[in-house]
Amino acid sequence: MNLKELKELIEMLKDTDISEVEIERSGVKVRLRKGGDVTYHPAMPRMDYPPSAIIAPVVSETPAAATPAEKAAEPATSNQTKVTSPIVGTFYRSSSPEKPAYVEVGAVVKKGQVLCIIEAMKLMNEIESETAGKIVQILAENGQPVEYGEPLFVIEPA
Amino acid sequence: MFKKILIANRGEIALRVIRACKEMGIKTVAVHSTADANSLHVRFADESVCIGPPKSADSYLHVPSIISAAEITDAEAIHPGYGFLAENSSFAEVCNSTGIRFIGPSPESIKLMGDKAKAREMAVKAGVPVLPGSNGVVTEESSAIEIARELGFPVIVKAAAGGGGKGMRVVMAEADFANAFVMAQAEALASFSNADVYIEKYILQPRHIEIQIMADEKGNTVYLGERECSIQRRHQKLIEEAPSVIVDEGLRKRMGEMAVAIAKSVRYRNAGTIEFLMDEDRKFYFMEMNTRIQVEHPVTEMVTGIDLVKEQIRVAAGEPLSFSQDSVRVSGHSIECRINAEDPEKFTPSPGTITAFNPPGGLGVRVETAAYTQYVIPPYYDSMIAKLIVHAPTRDEAIMRMERALDEFIIEGVKTTIPMHRKILEDPDFRKGDISTKFMERYNTPAK
Repeated sequence: MNLKELKELIEMLKDTDISEVEIERSGVKVRLRKGGDVTYHPAMPRMDYPPSAIIAPVVSETPAAATPAEKAAEPATSNQTKVTSPIVGTFYRSSSPEKPAYVEVGAVVKKGQVLCIIEAMKLMNEIESETAGKIVQILAENGQPVEYGEPLFVIEPA
Repeated sequence: MFKKILIANRGEIALRVIRACKEMGIKTVAVHSTADANSLHVRFADESVCIGPPKSADSYLHVPSIISAAEITDAEAIHPGYGFLAENSSFAEVCNSTGIRFIGPSPESIKLMGDKAKAREMAVKAGVPVLPGSNGVVTEESSAIEIARELGFPVIVKAAAGGGGKGMRVVMAEADFANAFVMAQAEALASFSNADVYIEKYILQPRHIEIQIMADEKGNTVYLGERECSIQRRHQKLIEEAPSVIVDEGLRKRMGEMAVAIAKSVRYRNAGTIEFLMDEDRKFYFMEMNTRIQVEHPVTEMVTGIDLVKEQIRVAAGEPLSFSQDSVRVSGHSIECRINAEDPEKFTPSPGTITAFNPPGGLGVRVETAAYTQYVIPPYYDSMIAKLIVHAPTRDEAIMRMERALDEFIIEGVKTTIPMHRKILEDPDFRKGDISTKFMERYNTPAK
């Protein structure tokens, strides 16, 4: 999508009753809202950049801590289980910024193994896995505030 | 002024605080258990944080979850509402030490006035009449009976850490004293983890009259008139009104000034209520102080025109009171009915789905509720559906307005106490204002 196409799109939008339109092309998604900001974010994750650099926050008016139903991606198979947050706090993938993440997608974990840290009231709480299995998805982002019940990981039990 | 406030409560009071914040341009954070995910207070707040599973102990009473929720949302202050953590001095301390402003009095005031025996001592020191009784806690039955004899029966044995009608035993005659004393201690231990009890003279036909006070950070303390809350069942208030039929200007001034004296003596800040018991001769005695905004605060708002919750927020933000003692006027008459999801005769809880909900309207009618059609009343919390408040120029007109409003209030799917409220309002003694805390006994069904 180039600037010319974008300008044409904006012009078209002006003359219609449409208030919001989202277009996806060549790995780039564009959402236009009348009276609002334009945001870009990739439709699919790109392997050559670290995830946090690509994903720009989507401009919206929904509250910062969304309900679990809005945030969760549905697991593909029925025996997969979700690990949800047992407390309110801030989610961290590793014990400190310099250390590597406790788990990545594909990691095989044992029951009781630490999956992440949730910081609450200045205390670092290690969140342990209830089951042995494989990490299929990581649903929360590093540094994200999480509420009770917020989905964090999808695990395929062993 | 605060930019964002977290409301550590649920139901109608959470909505009440959210409304005040919105009108002041303050962002709101609602916290909720999983059972309350579809609540109105969650819906109308700017942000919400789920803090735990349904049980209160794991959610609305769980201090770490609430503080953590305030941290991740950058809330600058917490309004505790009433009940839950509103009178928990440790919670207030944790808030303050975490740099979050607790909207209410200091932890020390909460602790002091929360100890019923100490509160009595403070009242005595402030020159306020108290019911004759033991000076503080009595542990030995032998000294207790001596005190009871001196006071003259009937007496009441009360839990020092108590409230809400628990840990209390009325003793009509000496023969019943020993047993009642031990039972009261046991109940106090079970309900409040504290077996301390004290003894008071018991008035047979008392009226419950309470005074609303508000104090700012500079110590300016103003009384905002009285509320009469004599219509109670098992120490749970059913109907409240302002002003009281038997309180005239002079009595209001005397009681108000006493209330202010008590508040000042403990350097009280923010909203508070001093409860008095009044006997048939209009002699009043200090009972206890409630260090929070109360359920029945709307009737005071209706007769004074002052938004008490906004005032709480302003005071907590360091602003001076927006009124003075001279500017407060009590005008007209206001009545509130607490409508609960309970059987109107047995008062057993009736949770479930409200299939139809249509609150009344019209001039002088105010409804405070978080219920709506298809709302499922959870079984984990209190059974209040709504507070119905009316305001009219006279008490007679207020009663007519309340009857009219109750007739219009459609709540289907659960049992409600509306039929009981109608019965009370029709009662000739109620209409005359001839009431006391014994009023509801006339509806007790005789034992089979």
